[in-house]
Amino acid sequence: MVKYILKRLFQSLFTVLLVVTIVFLLLRLMPTDYYFTEDELMKLPQEVLNDRLQAAGLLDPPLVQLGRFYRDLFTKFDLGTSRRVQANQPVVKVIAGKFGISMQMGLIALAISIVLGVVIGVLQARFKDGVLDHIGTGYTVFVNAVPHLVTYSLVLAFGARVLGLPSMYSARKLPLSMYLPIFCLSIGSTAYYMLWTRRYMVDELNKDYIRLAKLKGLSTRKVMFRHVLKNAFVPLVQYLPYSILLTVGGSLLVERFFSVPGMGPLLTDSIGRYDTNLVQALVMLYATMGILGVFLGDLLMALVDPRISLTGKGDVR
Amino acid sequence: MKKLLSLALCLTMLLSMVIVSTAGAAEIKDFDTYEVTANEVETWCLQYSQAARDLNVLCNLVDGLLTNNAAGDLVPNAAKSYESEDGGKTWTFTLNDNMTWVDVNGEIKAEVTSEDWLTGLEWVLNYAKNDAANTSMPKQMIVGATEYYDYTKALAESDGPEAAQALTYKDKFAELVGISAPDAKTVVYTCIGQLPYFPSVATYNCLYPAPTAQIAEIGVEGYKSVLPETMWYSGPYTVTSFISGNEKILTKNPNYWNDAGVKRFDTVTIHMVESQDVAYQLFQTGELDHVTLSESTLKTISDNASHEFHNNLVEARPTKYSYVVHLNYDKKNEDGTDDINWNYAVANKNFRLSLLYGIDWTTRLARINSINPLSCENYIYTGNNLCFTSDGTDYTQLVRNELGIDYDREVYNRYDADKTAEYKAKAIEELTALGVNFPVEMVLWYKADNSTEYENDLVLQQAVSDTLGDDYVKIVLKSYITNPTTEVRNPRLFSIYFSGWGADFADPINFLGQEIWDDNAYFTTTYAHFDELDPENPAFTDVVNTVTEFTEMVNAADANTTDIDQRYADFAKAEAFFLNNALEIPCYYMIQWELTCVNNYSKVYSMYGMQAYRYVNWETNDQIYTTAEAAELAAK
Amino acid sequence: MAKNTQKKMPKPEHEKTVQELETPVPDLSVDYSTVDHEPKKERPMGREHLRSRDVMPEKQLFEFAEYKPQEAERTGYSNYSYWKSVWQNFLKKRSAVVMSLVFLALFLFTFIAPAISKYDVNSLRVDANLAFISPNGEYWFGTDNLGRDYWSQVWYATRASIILAVSVSFGQIILGVIIGLVWGYVRKLDRFFTELYNLVDNVPVIIYMTLIAMMLDKSMLTMGIAMILFNWLGTARNVRNLVLMYRDREYNLASRCLGTKLGRILFRNIFPYLISMIILRLALAIPGTIAYETTLTYLGLMDVSMPSLGILLRNSRNFFLDYPYILIFPAIIVSIITITFYLVGNAFSDACDPRNHL
Repeated sequence: MVKYILKRLFQSLFTVLLVVTIVFLLLRLMPTDYYFTEDELMKLPQEVLNDRLQAAGLLDPPLVQLGRFYRDLFTKFDLGTSRRVQANQPVVKVIAGKFGISMQMGLIALAISIVLGVVIGVLQARFKDGVLDHIGTGYTVFVNAVPHLVTYSLVLAFGARVLGLPSMYSARKLPLSMYLPIFCLSIGSTAYYMLWTRRYMVDELNKDYIRLAKLKGLSTRKVMFRHVLKNAFVPLVQYLPYSILLTVGGSLLVERFFSVPGMGPLLTDSIGRYDTNLVQALVMLYATMGILGVFLGDLLMALVDPRISLTGKGDVR
Repeated sequence: MKKLLSLALCLTMLLSMVIVSTAGAAEIKDFDTYEVTANEVETWCLQYSQAARDLNVLCNLVDGLLTNNAAGDLVPNAAKSYESEDGGKTWTFTLNDNMTWVDVNGEIKAEVTSEDWLTGLEWVLNYAKNDAANTSMPKQMIVGATEYYDYTKALAESDGPEAAQALTYKDKFAELVGISAPDAKTVVYTCIGQLPYFPSVATYNCLYPAPTAQIAEIGVEGYKSVLPETMWYSGPYTVTSFISGNEKILTKNPNYWNDAGVKRFDTVTIHMVESQDVAYQLFQTGELDHVTLSESTLKTISDNASHEFHNNLVEARPTKYSYVVHLNYDKKNEDGTDDINWNYAVANKNFRLSLLYGIDWTTRLARINSINPLSCENYIYTGNNLCFTSDGTDYTQLVRNELGIDYDREVYNRYDADKTAEYKAKAIEELTALGVNFPVEMVLWYKADNSTEYENDLVLQQAVSDTLGDDYVKIVLKSYITNPTTEVRNPRLFSIYFSGWGADFADPINFLGQEIWDDNAYFTTTYAHFDELDPENPAFTDVVNTVTEFTEMVNAADANTTDIDQRYADFAKAEAFFLNNALEIPCYYMIQWELTCVNNYSKVYSMYGMQAYRYVNWETNDQIYTTAEAAELAAK
Repeated sequence: MAKNTQKKMPKPEHEKTVQELETPVPDLSVDYSTVDHEPKKERPMGREHLRSRDVMPEKQLFEFAEYKPQEAERTGYSNYSYWKSVWQNFLKKRSAVVMSLVFLALFLFTFIAPAISKYDVNSLRVDANLAFISPNGEYWFGTDNLGRDYWSQVWYATRASIILAVSVSFGQIILGVIIGLVWGYVRKLDRFFTELYNLVDNVPVIIYMTLIAMMLDKSMLTMGIAMILFNWLGTARNVRNLVLMYRDREYNLASRCLGTKLGRILFRNIFPYLISMIILRLALAIPGTIAYETTLTYLGLMDVSMPSLGILLRNSRNFFLDYPYILIFPAIIVSIITITFYLVGNAFSDACDPRNHL
C-alpha cells in the first residue's frame, strides 16, 4: 500500500511538471508584444520595450528560460514575481493573499450544497415519483437549463433590490456581503448532489440484496440507512476531496460578478495581462490540486468500501 | 432556519433604510467611488508605474512639485515657487518647509528634502531599477538623462544588475544628469534647450520624489515591490486598506503638511466593480456617490420623465483625450502588397476633404453622449484647455480663428452636404483618372470580443453609408484578436484607426509633434506613414508636399521659445493648415453623463499629467445634484 | 427482416460451413455385440449407474445430430432487431417524443423565421431612434440597443448556436469514442493515453482556450474545433472504462478464441453496451456546448460580429433590468434546447440499453 502511494505520488509529480513545462513553452511561443499594455506599446519606443524584456530575461531562448525557472523552483522554491497583476510582488504572495477567501466561501457553499443536496436527494429516492421528487427534478433541470450568467444576474438584481443585500463583497460587511455569492455558488452544486444522490440511491434500491433485506422484514428506514445510503455514498465520497481541494480555485463567474477578491478571476486576469509567472504558478497549483484530489478520492474510497482494492489495475476512473 | 434567515434579511433591510434616512449633513465625509476591476492598481511603486490605473490612486499618496487646480492652471504643491532665469533652460523649484514622509499609520518617518527628487529621478533613469519605465520624457528634456540611462544599462550588462542597482544619485548620476540640490529645499533642473513648458512635466510621476531613507532601509527590490502597508506617504491620503480586486480605502493623512491649505475627505473608498452597470446598481442602493452612465442606462433615464434620476443627469467635463481618426497613407493588403486603391484615394486632397465634411458624426457621438451628441464633436486636433496665451485665451481658440469657424458647442455640425457633393465629385473625377475603383474600401478594425467597439463601428458604417453613399466609400469591418499593434498596426492593414491622445505636457508641440515628418513623431510612424510614400509618384506628390510644408511650419513654431504668444500663434497657423488639408480627421472628446454628489467644477482639471484624480478640495453634496444645480455650478 | 438476415449472411460462406461440417461422414454402423440387450432391466443408481456407463460403447454415448440447414436457421432466427427495439422503447415515452418534436420544430423554425421576418439579418439598419422598442406588430421581438430588429437576430443566432452545438457535440463524442475504444482495447497504448488524459484534464481548459484564441483567432470555427479538442476527455474515459469491463467477458474471450475479427468484436459485442452512454453524453453535450459558448463569450473569447445565443445573452446583461425582453427571448430558447435534450437524451439512452429490451 505504502509502495503504491509513493508510486502514485511520484507519478503525480511527474505529471504536474509536464503540465507546467507544456504551458511554460506554450506561453513563450506568443509574440513578446503581449507583455506590454496597449499604452506602453503606444508611447514607448521599440528599444525601450526590448530593454524591458531583456531586463526581465524574456528575450532568452525558451529552453534557457525553462531551465532558469526550474532552477529557481528547486533551489529557492521561487516561482518568480508577477509582472502585471501585482507588479514585482512574488507570485506566491499574490496567490496567498487570494486563495483564503475563495476557499472559505467555496467550503461554506460546498457544505451547504452537500447537506441540502444529499438530504433532498435521499428524500427524492425514498419517495420516488412523489411531489418532492418532481420538484427536485424540476429544480435540477432548471439550473442546468438556464445559463449561469442569467441566473446570477437575476440573483444579483433580486438580492440587491428586493432584499437589500450588499451586491458586492466587502470585508467590512462580512457575513452579509457573502450571502449572495455563496448562494450563487451553491445553486449549481446543490443540483449536482441532488441529482447524483438520487440516482445512486435509486440504482441501489433496485438491487437484489435490498429486495432480500426487505423480504426478510427489515424496516424501510433500516434498509435506507444501513444499506442503501452507505453504498450510494461510495461514488459520492470519491469526488469529495477533489471538490474540497478545488475550492481553492474559486469560481470565475461568481467572483467576477460580486467583486470577490478571490482566485476565480485571477487566472483569466493573468492570462489577459500576460503575466506568465503567475499563469505558471496557477497552472501548477490547479494541476496539483486536481491530481491530489483524484488520488485522495481513490484512497478515501478504498477506506470506505473494503471491496475496492487500489493496487489492482487501472489508475483512471 | 428559514425564520432566522428571513429575520436576518428584514433586519438588514431595516438597517439599510435607517442608514439612508439618517444621512443629512451637506458635505460627504466618507466618499465612495468605484473603478472597474480591469483597472485594478498593478504597482504601488510610483516611479515604476506608467498607467493611469495606478497613478489615479498614487497621485493622492505622494505630492509632486506642482499640481493643477479646478480651472486647469498649474499651481504649486510640494514646491512653493518655481522660476527660470534663462528663459526656460534651467528651472529652480523651492520646496515647502514642513513636509514629512509618514508610514501607513501616519507616523512621521523622515523629512521630505530635495535629495528625494534626486533619488526619484535617479531611480527612473537607472535601467536596473526601473526597467526603462517613464524614461521617455526625462530623456527628451533633461541634460544627461540619456547618457545616464545608457551608462546604467551598460553597467548592468557587463557587471550584473546588482552593480547598477548599487548606484545612487551621488555617484555617476551627479556628474551626468542635469539636476542638482543646492540646499535641502531647492531642486534645480537643467533642460536640453529652452523649454517653456517644462513646469507642466513636474506634475508627472517621472519627476516625483522617492523616499531616500526608506530605499536605504528596504533596498532596491523592497522599494520596487512596495505595498500600501510598507510604503511611505507624503500626500493628502494614506492607503489603510487594500484588497486587490475588491476595495481600497484612502484615509486622511494625519500629518499632512498642507492640512490647512486643502479640503479632504475623511476616507475615500474605491470599490472595484465588474462593469459600469454594476456600478449603477450600487449607486441605486446608495453604496456609491457617483456613477458614469453607460449608453443604455442614460437612454433609459433620459427617455423616461418619471424616472427617479431623470432630473439628476449631469454632463461631465471632457476627459483629456482628443480622439482622432488616423488615415493610413501606406496601407497594405493582407498578403503584404500595397493597397493601391486606398493609397491613391487617401492621397487625394478632395477625397480626404469629402471624408472630413461628408460624415455626419451625430449618431456615432450619440453612442458616447446620447443627450448632447454634438457637444462631443472635436473640430480641432489639440485638446481644449491645454495651454493659454498671456491674455488667457485658450490655444484652440487661436486655431478656430485661423479656421474661420465660430461655433456653438451644442449645435455646430461639421457635416456639410454642399461641400461633400463638391469634393466628392472632384475626387471621383480625379481618382477615376488615376484608375481608382469605386467604392473605395476603408478597412476599420475592432477587437473581436468588444461588442461596444463593434457596435460603435456599425453606427459609423451606417453614417458613412447614409451621407457618402455606398457607391463612393464603404467601411469594411474586420476583427483582431488581442493585440492591435502586432495584428493591425505593424502590418499596416488598416485604412482608418481611432485613437485618443492625452497630452504629456502643456504645449501644442506635444500634439502637433506627433504628426510631422520625423522618425520620433509617434502618429506618423504608427498610423500615417507619410514617410513611406514615393514623392516621384504623381499620385503622392501633393500629399508629400503638404506634409513637408506642415513639418516646416511646426518646426519653425517650435524653435521660438521666448515669445510664447507668437509661438502659439504660429502653432495655430500650422494646425489650421493641417486641418484644412484633412491630413487626419478629428472626431470627438469623451463627454459622458453621470449621476453624482460631486461638483465636477471643484475637481482638479487637467489636460495633461496625472493630477485629475486627487481627492482634494472636492465640493460634495449628500443629495445627488440635480441637472439644474449642476448647470449653475458649470456657469460659475 | 428476413431480407436483412440474408444480406448480412452471404450465401457462399454459409454453404462452405455446411460442407465442412459434412465432410467427415460419421460411421453410424453399430457393433451389436456390445449393446445392452435389456433396456428395461433395473440398474443401480448413482455411482453404480455411472460405472455402468463405462461399459457403454463410446459411439452410443455420443451421437451425431443430423444437420438440417432449415432447422439451423429456424433456431438461429430471432424476431429481435436492436434499432427497432430502441425505437419502440423510445416511442413508449410520450413526453420525450413530444420534446423531440418541439426541438425539431424549433430548429426548422430557425430556417422559416428569417423568411417570414420583415427584416433581413444581414442588412439590418442601425438607427438609434428605433432603439429599445418593445415587441410589437412591426418588431415581433422588439429592437436592440442599436435599433435593429431583434426577431431576425434571435433566430439567426439560434440557428448558428444549434449548428455549432450539434457539430461540436458530435465531434467531441466521435473523437472521444474512438480514443476511448483504442485506449481501452490496446493495452500498449494505455499508458500513453492515461498521460495525455492527465495532461489535458489537469490544466484549466480556459488556459488552452485563451492561448488558442490569442494565437489563432476567435471565429466560431476555431473555437468550435478547440472545444472539440478539449472536451473529448469525459467520453473517452467513460468508453475506456466500459471497454475494460466488457473486453474480457467470457463471450468476448470465446469470440476471440474463435478468431473473430477485432472490428467485429468491438462493434457487435462491445459497442451495443456503449450506445446508451454515448447517446446520453451526446444529448447533454449539446446544451453543455451552448452554456460553454456563453461563458466563452463572457470571457471575451468569441468574435462579437457573429450573432450566437451566447453573444445575445452577454449583451443583454447590460439592459435586461430595464428591457427584460432582450434577455428573455434568448434565455427561453436556450432553456427549451436544454430541457428537450435533457429529457430526450435520458429517454433515448434508456431505450438504447439492450438490458431494457426484454
